[in-house]
Amino acid sequence: MPIYAPTLPPPPDLHQGQPPALVLMRFDLARLLRQKIGRFFGFAFLLMLLWKVGRIYVDHLLQTNQTFRPVQDFARSVLTQGADFQADLLNPAGYLLWFLVALVGGGLVARDTLYRVRPLMYAHPVVPRDYLLAKLGFASALPFAILLPFALLPWLMSLMLAGTGGPVWVTTPLRLLPAMALSSVLMGALAVGASSLAGTPRAGIGWVLGLVLGTGTLASMVHGLTGNASVQACNPIVLAEAWPQLFMGVERPLVPWLPAILGTAFHLGLWTYVAARRTRPSETVI
Amino acid sequence: MVPKPNGVRLVAAFDPEIEPIRLETPLIAFENLEVRYTAMAAPALKGLTLSLERGIVGLLGPNGAGKSTLLKALLGLLPPSGGSGTVLGVPLGTAGSARLRARIGYMPEYDALIEDASAYEQVAFWGELSGLAPEAARDRAHEVLYFVGLDESRYRPVSGYSTGMRQRVKLAQALVHSPDLIFLDEPTNGLDPDGRRRMLDLVLRVHAELDTGVILASHLLGDVERVADQLVILDQGQIKAAGSMAGLRRALAKRVELRFLDPLDGAQEAALAGLGTVLEARNGLYDLELGEADPAGIFRWAEAQGATLVQVTPRHDRLDEVLLRALHGDAVAAREEC
Repeated sequence: MPIYAPTLPPPPDLHQGQPPALVLMRFDLARLLRQKIGRFFGFAFLLMLLWKVGRIYVDHLLQTNQTFRPVQDFARSVLTQGADFQADLLNPAGYLLWFLVALVGGGLVARDTLYRVRPLMYAHPVVPRDYLLAKLGFASALPFAILLPFALLPWLMSLMLAGTGGPVWVTTPLRLLPAMALSSVLMGALAVGASSLAGTPRAGIGWVLGLVLGTGTLASMVHGLTGNASVQACNPIVLAEAWPQLFMGVERPLVPWLPAILGTAFHLGLWTYVAARRTRPSETVI
Repeated sequence: MVPKPNGVRLVAAFDPEIEPIRLETPLIAFENLEVRYTAMAAPALKGLTLSLERGIVGLLGPNGAGKSTLLKALLGLLPPSGGSGTVLGVPLGTAGSARLRARIGYMPEYDALIEDASAYEQVAFWGELSGLAPEAARDRAHEVLYFVGLDESRYRPVSGYSTGMRQRVKLAQALVHSPDLIFLDEPTNGLDPDGRRRMLDLVLRVHAELDTGVILASHLLGDVERVADQLVILDQGQIKAAGSMAGLRRALAKRVELRFLDPLDGAQEAALAGLGTVLEARNGLYDLELGEADPAGIFRWAEAQGATLVQVTPRHDRLDEVLLRALHGDAVAAREEC
């Protein structure tokens, strides 16, 4: 038998709250933290980060400790501090990160569709722009937040060991951060667009993986047949890898600047448009 | 039609002379409102003209009548394609719609619950989305969940809740920001008689204690009859009837069933029709709608006609009969033109 309050106290003041897009993003984050996938991915990414940092420390030991003189030549050829090495800082997370984006981002819109929560959101002072901004923001912030320590910690460690006069580029983060941002927004837009096509989170995950792997395979096949590297601009996996290379000035990037810009703009435009169309208030059923 | 000073015309009051509807601060007012889903589509709502005062409004109609479309339009999710309207004084289809929604609570018919979150988490979330500061939303979530009787279970994920508890979570999220108006879409769906009674008690409390206007869409006429003080009957995107429940009840009370000792002859039957509308006649029983006629006139008529009246029974129609008659376009619907 429920116990009811004698009455409801006077209402609190409205209009003191945070912007709706921020509230939605915070709630999506709370949802993610409730899920158990965070533990596995957290462990996996931490391991990779430790490996990166460890490599730098070993490199330092090889350079400074005479005991390791015999392997120094080998180390020089493997553990360079040039553009390739810096661009590669973000690379190991690539496939695993896409998988995480698919797992989390695939359900972002689809879960709201399944539980029919979106119409209720629009019944509040939330406009479609807020909703889309929240979903794109969260889906993009997730890979960005994971990539951030990969960009910063090895760089900090290198600076500490080598000093500013050493082979480490002091300006590396200025080059890596925009590249990370572009790659993350690309991942986020694709995940949200694919998720908006699905009716359940599982289907959303399938859509993201299907689109990423499907376009990737197709682009690789056309590349193999024609020898034209520019077609890889359609491949979101390659695009996400290419941006750090382009910003770091790698000699032979996976995709040149212009195709990379066009390919990224195409993906961002297409998937944002798809998500916007699929989450319009008139599409809601109440 | 009754022209009103503010330009809003009142239609379909059952008895506007007896129970005039006050229009000083209309909860909702429409004039020739038309809503289409797309520019090329046929109108889902057409020519709605209506004004309702603050209170509990029952919205009745069969499936596809346009109830949900009307709620969408009220929430500002579908801009009007014709006519005009206001909700709580805010014009529909304007930039103020988003702000207006901060003053409206909506309890959907279906389970719009986030299954892996607790009642407390989601009610606080909806509060924040309505404009409450995070801390205020959390405090308010506790208060409102206690108000709807979910104090004990508020930290459990809603996936383990019974249907009655889920309905109360939905009501709590509609109330968390203390709206001026709430839309309740089938609030007693799936509830047992006891749960249904408790939910309707809560609806009455919401209006009485919080001074919140309520629009209750339901196909359960008993629910509407119990809590509503105004009624709107929709069908095929049009208002078939609307008015106050008190006026409706008064109108219904003017039906009587007459039993005569001997069957009436043709002349007597013709004379009886002069008293009101004979709705049904069988085996000496006559179902008579008196309209504005004085019930005492029946006895005078019987004496004048030499008919022996053995029984006069006031007929109280059930609301479902009224609904059916309104939908099928006979007497009650005809009163729209009052």
